[in-house]
Amino acid sequence: MKTEPSQNNSRRKFLKGAAIAISTTAIAPNLAFSAFSQPPNIDLDKYKPSYFSAAEWTFILAATDRLIPADEQGPGALETNVPVFIDMQMLGEFGHASDWYMQPPFLPAKPEMGYQSPLTPAQTYRQGIKATEDYCQQTYKKSFSELSNSEKDTILSQLQSEEIQFSELGSAQFFSFLLQNTKEGYFADPIHGGNKNLASWKMIGFPGARASYKEWVDFPDVEYPLGPVSIDGERG
Amino acid sequence: MKLPLLSLLSLTIAMVGYSSTSIAQSSEQILIDKGEYLSKAGDCIACHTKDGGEQFAGGRAVDSPFGAIYSTNITPSKTDGIGHYTYEEFEQALRHGIRADGAFLYPAMPYPSYQKITDEDTKALYAYFLNGVKAVDVEVPETSLSFPFSQRWGIRFWNWVSTDNEQFSAAPKQSSEYNRGAYLVQGLGHCGSCHTPRGLLYQEKSYDHADKDFLVGEDIGIWHAPNIRAGENTNLEHWSEQDLVDYFASGRNHYSAVAGEMTDVIQYSLSHLSKNDLNAMATYLKSQAGQTRTKDKEPSDPERTTALLNSAKVEIDSGARLYLDNCGACHFTDGVGAPHVFPQLDGNSLVNADNPKGLIHVILAGARLPSTTDAPEAIEMPGFGWRLNDEDVAKLATFIRQSWGNQSELVKEDDVKTVRSAIPTNVLERSAP
Amino acid sequence: MARQNKPVDVVMIGLGWTSSIMGMEMTEEGLEVLALERGKDQDTVPDFAYPKTADELTYGVRYKLMSAPVDNTVTVRHSSQDVAVPYRHLGSFLPGTGVGGAGTHWNGHTWRPMPEELRLRSYVEETFGADIIPEDMTIQDFGVTYEELEPHFDFFEKVLGISGTAGNIKGEIQPGGNPFEGARQEPYPLPPLQRTLNDTMFEEATNKMGLHPFPLPAANASEAYKNPYGMQLAPCNYCGFCERYGCMNYSKASPQTCVLGALKQRKNFSYRTGCEVIKINKDSSGKQATGVTYIDVNGEEVFQPAKLVIAGGYSYHNVRLLLLSKIGKPYDPVSNTGVVGRNYAYQMTGGATLFFKDKNFNPFIGAGSNATVIDDFAINQIDFKKEGFIGGSYISAAMTNGQPIRNMPLPSGTPSWGADWKKAVKEYYGHAMSIGSHGSNMAYRDCYLSLDPTYKDKHGLPLLSMTFNWKENDIRMTQFMKKQIENIVETMKPDHVNYSFKGPGSEYDVRPYQTTHNVGGAIMGTDPATSVLNRYLQSWDVHNVFVMGASAFPQNIQYNPTGLVGALTYWTAKAIREKYLPNPGPLVQA
Repeated sequence: MKTEPSQNNSRRKFLKGAAIAISTTAIAPNLAFSAFSQPPNIDLDKYKPSYFSAAEWTFILAATDRLIPADEQGPGALETNVPVFIDMQMLGEFGHASDWYMQPPFLPAKPEMGYQSPLTPAQTYRQGIKATEDYCQQTYKKSFSELSNSEKDTILSQLQSEEIQFSELGSAQFFSFLLQNTKEGYFADPIHGGNKNLASWKMIGFPGARASYKEWVDFPDVEYPLGPVSIDGERG
Repeated sequence: MKLPLLSLLSLTIAMVGYSSTSIAQSSEQILIDKGEYLSKAGDCIACHTKDGGEQFAGGRAVDSPFGAIYSTNITPSKTDGIGHYTYEEFEQALRHGIRADGAFLYPAMPYPSYQKITDEDTKALYAYFLNGVKAVDVEVPETSLSFPFSQRWGIRFWNWVSTDNEQFSAAPKQSSEYNRGAYLVQGLGHCGSCHTPRGLLYQEKSYDHADKDFLVGEDIGIWHAPNIRAGENTNLEHWSEQDLVDYFASGRNHYSAVAGEMTDVIQYSLSHLSKNDLNAMATYLKSQAGQTRTKDKEPSDPERTTALLNSAKVEIDSGARLYLDNCGACHFTDGVGAPHVFPQLDGNSLVNADNPKGLIHVILAGARLPSTTDAPEAIEMPGFGWRLNDEDVAKLATFIRQSWGNQSELVKEDDVKTVRSAIPTNVLERSAP
Repeated sequence: MARQNKPVDVVMIGLGWTSSIMGMEMTEEGLEVLALERGKDQDTVPDFAYPKTADELTYGVRYKLMSAPVDNTVTVRHSSQDVAVPYRHLGSFLPGTGVGGAGTHWNGHTWRPMPEELRLRSYVEETFGADIIPEDMTIQDFGVTYEELEPHFDFFEKVLGISGTAGNIKGEIQPGGNPFEGARQEPYPLPPLQRTLNDTMFEEATNKMGLHPFPLPAANASEAYKNPYGMQLAPCNYCGFCERYGCMNYSKASPQTCVLGALKQRKNFSYRTGCEVIKINKDSSGKQATGVTYIDVNGEEVFQPAKLVIAGGYSYHNVRLLLLSKIGKPYDPVSNTGVVGRNYAYQMTGGATLFFKDKNFNPFIGAGSNATVIDDFAINQIDFKKEGFIGGSYISAAMTNGQPIRNMPLPSGTPSWGADWKKAVKEYYGHAMSIGSHGSNMAYRDCYLSLDPTYKDKHGLPLLSMTFNWKENDIRMTQFMKKQIENIVETMKPDHVNYSFKGPGSEYDVRPYQTTHNVGGAIMGTDPATSVLNRYLQSWDVHNVFVMGASAFPQNIQYNPTGLVGALTYWTAKAIREKYLPNPGPLVQA
């Protein structure tokens, strides 16, 4: 059977720098969404979110930018496409809590008993963003993204500590997902949509998916010099 | 097989000359069993069984430069197989390439090698195929090559020019082990069908070691069947007899692991032979010297590659970088791999074959070892065709062919493209995330 | 009405370590053996192929190889007074599924218990007197001795190709090994893994302190290896994607790399995937099993008749099956009667993270069992009376991975986000090592397993309920270990150190990962009033049911359980072959 190399290697097309717009058609939650059908290294400006509305997307961009800001230390959440990662996660098994036990009853329990909310992460984001924006309007008469950096930081801290309380869901739980997913998007293999250009790995010196160091056990306490490689073969 | 719990073990019979759990067998059954064993040595199943088909029912398209030659149904089916063959007709087909109806068989059937099979062994094979194999009433496609190859009578002339028409002759000064090995390699094993170069008439250049071309290597499609003379002045000189036996029995030894067409030979044929027979074949091959070393000069600095890779200071677009990102995890920076598990790339015959396409195929599609009694684990190399483009594969293959002690030609992107186009997508994507 | 298959001699529930081993043993007897695995088939290639397996998010964070709670989970509560709620997403422990089970994604720590641990109650009574045992502590002897199990530890270690340095060969203490271990007849089959920087630093410090460091016994092969089944391992390449991941290069011991290729060659062995056993069926007398019932890939109920049933599922899963099948009397903590579910235990762990700004640890260069250990504070080294607790731990420095999402230790006080967080990440990644204590957990009257009254699985069957909390005894033990680690830290003098230990009042928290060492619930013993299984892991109640796994432990040993689980399986197999098959019936008179 003849195969066209370019069809085989759809990923290689992307690695050659093609920017491809993502389809905005909604994907039924029951479909196993393949995270790998999205191209890595897309331009954040060109990305159209599939889960988040335009207003929600603005929040996500603003919030992740504060959680991991860009500075001289290294790249931030925006330049590494963390928001793309989060959008993709919302459509997949994580966002839908597909692997979790979500049967009722959902009873109040000690924090040590773990997650007992009936909301999926995707629902938590939706409601959490709305509740946060409502709070910002009430308190500052502005949307979150219009606030100053220090105001944004304050809000985020207050969510984290649950100083700001929501009526419909736990604010700390919302923040917890947001922070967890932001760090995941920052550090995960680019095959999941974030860590654009392997930037976080380059910053910390993590070799990525090379997973092969037998000879280097002989060189303890020597900083490993070789840049990272991603699962798809992108080299840093 | 359901046994009453443990009661069968109490029936263990110690009988002189028999295995401890068998019951006395008729002489006919012994002959059939011997024929079954010999059919494994001859690897009849490889051609006479098609994918998903019943054993020996034929229908497999054997590719030749002249077109597809379909193997015949050699089950004892009376309607579609050889159920009506007398011993004489069987013998004529097996050793002389003449069908019961008088037509000549295409030498895709290696009768030039099989003519060395002794009468005794031929009788055993006959007993097996007529009485030990299940009859399958399935018709197989007729071979129809284009003119002039459709003219089977022309094979008579080909036979005159291209075959020895000689029975096997034992070398009187050699050990019985050597001669047993020679018999198997020249005859049933028909190793020369792949490993002996072919001449202008597509005939094997020689059928025994009297000729220096015997078993010195040939290409089979994209794969290279290497020189398997393993004595002095050959590339296998450093292989011991045990290394050869290990390879035959399990597809893996201290240095190498099987890939390509030979995998099936080990799976269906060699791994089923007795250790005595494998030792005999190894003895014979170890006694075959080469004319000159194929490697004329010593490599200038074999440690150079290892040192470079160990430093992990390699250029981002180099073959060395590709090696560290794809191959080093198993084949390691010294190219030595791990004995009996991951083949050594330094000095490997597939890596260094003139025709690089076999190596390219392995890089793109991976390779899986057969599960054999000796080594039950079907260790598999994943393919990298989903991850690397043609340029990268060419660069990587070139790096491997020119690293450590290897000094072979570079690999071109076009070659990669050709090999890739023949590999189904699902195979290329098998190990993709 | 369940469809019925044709009968087999032996049906095995699950196809992980214990069923793989049992499969080899039972097929050698010429029996027809069938394994029923609820999960999917999996093999090194393509499922754990390089490089796709080096995906931290998918396997390390989203737990793709583990049993998803939507399919199977438990409910948890601290005490009988609480209402148990579901363990809705994975955290504290990560049960496996699929062919190979958790044996495909473990880290390979393979230990023998100390001889004293197998007869813990007797040891405590003999050495310190029975009155130091708290009233609600229900520790027991296993009913089998270390000496009886020794050849089986040895064989299991050979099957797995354990890399290590023996400490005690036939009574002679060996340099470089664990001087406190029980005597072994032979050295480990492979030399130990190479030491990394954290190992040498820890070795230096502990040697200086007069302690006895040795390499952790590793089921990560240090060299190419062929095991007694002809299966093969390749040398570990320290890829740093071990625990939670399938091994990409055949160096981690798993059912796939150590057993299954050989088992699948046997004509009298077969297995089916996507088949979840929901019950062990009994005849009308209730004293003999007739087979098992399972739900197949199409959701159909099927009855598989068999002469012998081996429960080879994950530990607490076996307990659940016994409860659902009504084999054995369920444990009632109030009246302290019944046995199925009693003596559930876990593992007490704690640790310190040490930061050294000028050391390059290259944490991504790691193997699952790459560690150096001291056993100077093991169970048989502690004066329980003096220290005020019963228990012990091993203390080790391990470098298993440098995966940035899961393993980003930062000095305490570092903000969890923002510019300062990022600065700390850049400053400290690669400059931290850890020292941990891994210790025993005793059994208690109110730590047990039962069927949940409210929550159900996808087949409508009750979930298993886990009633469990940390007790003072084990908290005192872990605080003792903290002090020992503080002493080591003081010798090593890091720039910063974080400690994470349970303290007085700490309650069991299902959120952070601790260990996947859930033990007990179907314990072995010598008295049917206080155990579910006899010393051959045979059900006291239904003689053709044998229940493998750590569910048999009456309390948890201080070490990782797999070594003992493997040895007990071979021990049981031997008993089945030599004693049971010739004369089916109870092997021990109650």
